[in-house]
Amino acid sequence: MRFSIGESAMTELLIRLMRRPQGFVGVALLALIVAACLFGPALAPYAPEKIDFLGRFRAPGWQNWLGADQFGRDVLSRLMVGARSTVPLAVIATFAGSAAGAIIGVGSAYLGGRTDEAIMRTNDAVMAIPGLLMALLLVSTLGNGSGNAVIAIAVAFAPGMARVTRSAALNVRNQDYVKAAIARGEGAPWIIFREMLPNVMAPIVIESTIRVSFAVMLFATLSFLGVGAQPPASEWGLMVADARQYMHQAPWGLIAPSAAIALTAIAFNLVGDGLRDALNPKDER
Amino acid sequence: MTSALSIQDYTLDYVTSAGPVRVLHDISLQIGPGEVLGLVGESGSGKSSLAWALMRHLPGNAREVAGSLRLGDIDLQRLSPRELTRIRGRRLGMVFQDPSTSLNPTLTIGRQITEALIQHRGLKQRDADALAIDLLGHVDLNNPAAIMRRYPHEISGGEKQRVVIATAFGCQPDVILFDEPTTALDVITGARFLELFARLRRETGVAALYISHDLALVTRVADWVAVLERGRLVEQAPAADIFRAPRHANTRALVDAVPRPERRLVHDKPRDQVLLAASEIEVQYGSGGLFRDAPPPATKKIGLEIRGGEILGLVGESGSGKSSMARALTGLARFSGKISFDEHEIRGMRDMNAAYRRDVQIIFQHPDSSLNPRHRIDEILSRPLKLYGGQLGDIPSLLDQVRLPQSYANRWPHQLSGGEKQRIAIARAFAARPKLVICDEITAPLDVSVQAQIVELLLALREETGTAFLFITHDLNLIRQIAHRIAVMRRGEIVDLLPAEDFDADHVHPYTRELMAASPVPVG
Repeated sequence: MRFSIGESAMTELLIRLMRRPQGFVGVALLALIVAACLFGPALAPYAPEKIDFLGRFRAPGWQNWLGADQFGRDVLSRLMVGARSTVPLAVIATFAGSAAGAIIGVGSAYLGGRTDEAIMRTNDAVMAIPGLLMALLLVSTLGNGSGNAVIAIAVAFAPGMARVTRSAALNVRNQDYVKAAIARGEGAPWIIFREMLPNVMAPIVIESTIRVSFAVMLFATLSFLGVGAQPPASEWGLMVADARQYMHQAPWGLIAPSAAIALTAIAFNLVGDGLRDALNPKDER
Repeated sequence: MTSALSIQDYTLDYVTSAGPVRVLHDISLQIGPGEVLGLVGESGSGKSSLAWALMRHLPGNAREVAGSLRLGDIDLQRLSPRELTRIRGRRLGMVFQDPSTSLNPTLTIGRQITEALIQHRGLKQRDADALAIDLLGHVDLNNPAAIMRRYPHEISGGEKQRVVIATAFGCQPDVILFDEPTTALDVITGARFLELFARLRRETGVAALYISHDLALVTRVADWVAVLERGRLVEQAPAADIFRAPRHANTRALVDAVPRPERRLVHDKPRDQVLLAASEIEVQYGSGGLFRDAPPPATKKIGLEIRGGEILGLVGESGSGKSSMARALTGLARFSGKISFDEHEIRGMRDMNAAYRRDVQIIFQHPDSSLNPRHRIDEILSRPLKLYGGQLGDIPSLLDQVRLPQSYANRWPHQLSGGEKQRIAIARAFAARPKLVICDEITAPLDVSVQAQIVELLLALREETGTAFLFITHDLNLIRQIAHRIAVMRRGEIVDLLPAEDFDADHVHPYTRELMAASPVPVG
């Protein structure tokens, strides 16, 4: 019974999301990306690591739709397989970072006073370290690998999210419904998670959808520096890094993964925009 | 004689996704030169739409179906945007409801006044400055030259409204529209504003359209009163007559809803046993820093006693510390002092246990912000039941108790009107079966007629449950109808604490007398 209510609420949300053009395009693009993540390896025309020396730097055509790279590997196949190692990790990292940041931000706004001051100044100190440097530091302590890169990116994202969330939560903290909850003796978890958090979701959702694209880029950078995904993996960032050398000979090797990253970013942004409107109960047109 | 402002058979629709909705039906009104017309109606009756139509600032989905709007000999509907800017402010002024949003927070007061004067009267900067200082002095602002240099956040709400009215009169318009100019002000400031308006009107002979939901107030400022109900004009009469002999049922309802101190609504006596005794309560916001002194306390060591089943009124102008008292009693503000409740002693927020939290409930002023917009009504009502032990099956009966349909359980707060939201807030407070309910200005943002219904509901609930009330308000007429005793607060101190029937006696504090004089007593 309870489950079916949740399900119908989800379909309702999806319908409201699809009603606007930007929501529709975003959902369509996202569906494409999800399909690539799920069925990429099965649908890809070639194996991602199949080397073809005769086809080095082959221009896009009927043999290789998006061209071939310096080893003659098919760019399209590598993109389709690579989606699986790029998008989910970026999403997980962003989600973890946003969730941690949102809880810190709302909690800090709720507690207020000296505690708030202490949390936010610590936050500022962490924020002063550049994101990439932070991620590198963490990966070099924790060791190479995709899992650790996820943790590193999440930690690098959390302070920024905490600050965005806190500024929104400060407004909510002064609303009478929060005062009413305090006056009736509600516990801190209820006030933070049920009273305050739903009302600051809009900036969090928008900020995190934008950050998904940063996460993809940060992964790419880490892979480029040799601490993220390792060659010959077909992670998109790594593909950009590899193709950089041959930019003038074979621009498609660079353009295709860059376009894939951009498309992912746009898809998440559009869905984020749509979600902001669809999540607002006042928007029932 | 041509009228200063004339509205002929005016009909207005708003186009929504559900089709056109008619908000004004065949409105015809005339305002002669120097005349003040009061326009009264509940919220949603279309009064503000009419004001926006006259200012030619209608929302994009408005469709003017028929009728004409004329300012003297000008047809307002035919003006081009450029001609409009010459008319607005210059010949047709407007004073809005909320003075805090009608001034630009990033410009000094001086800039905002002189800009209007330069634009509309073609003055040079120096002359405009001199005139602005003159105008500000004329609306009884102290030290106008200093006010000119200040920013809007550095002056009070009443002062801001004076600045707005000084600007409006400074451009010497033919007609000024007032859209509930005193609603956002407290009683005494509002009364001073009305005096000022009466004086300026005598001096300048300006005509005005005065929009308000408060019939008592309108009869004091207007010559003629028109009553609007759901977009239809139901009655027009001289101000002196409308109160004495209302003809239309709606007008009669508005007249009846106006609180009159002599018509008591509560007849029983409170019990003898003291429910809550607070003594030496001091609330202090913010502490002094290294280079500045601490601000004065919001309440200065004051005490209160509430008996079982008693209604204690707490009145005073804004900033007098009445809400701080409510916040101290509910543990929302840090305080020093002692509260004893049911033989339980409380010296700080930490001493307030679950039983105290259940027994003392608070209802806030703004129903829009006291209900979480992301929770449905049933979830809002389920919280006190879960916290204090109750069945979720009680929600329908809670809704019944506040006279709302049970189907409202599935709604979102924004789908309810202001009065209905306030009923939900009341239901939430009473779900805890409290012994004391603190009402913090709960009727202030509501229309007079809705206010009367809410008060009626509270009294009915008191009848059923025997709850005591601490009723905080600035409406002295209302509180004199219902309270057993009334405390008057000023600058953090209680200056008077009297039984309600003693308010006409001679021994009241001068400040209480001033407050009584400022409360609009209905004509007739």
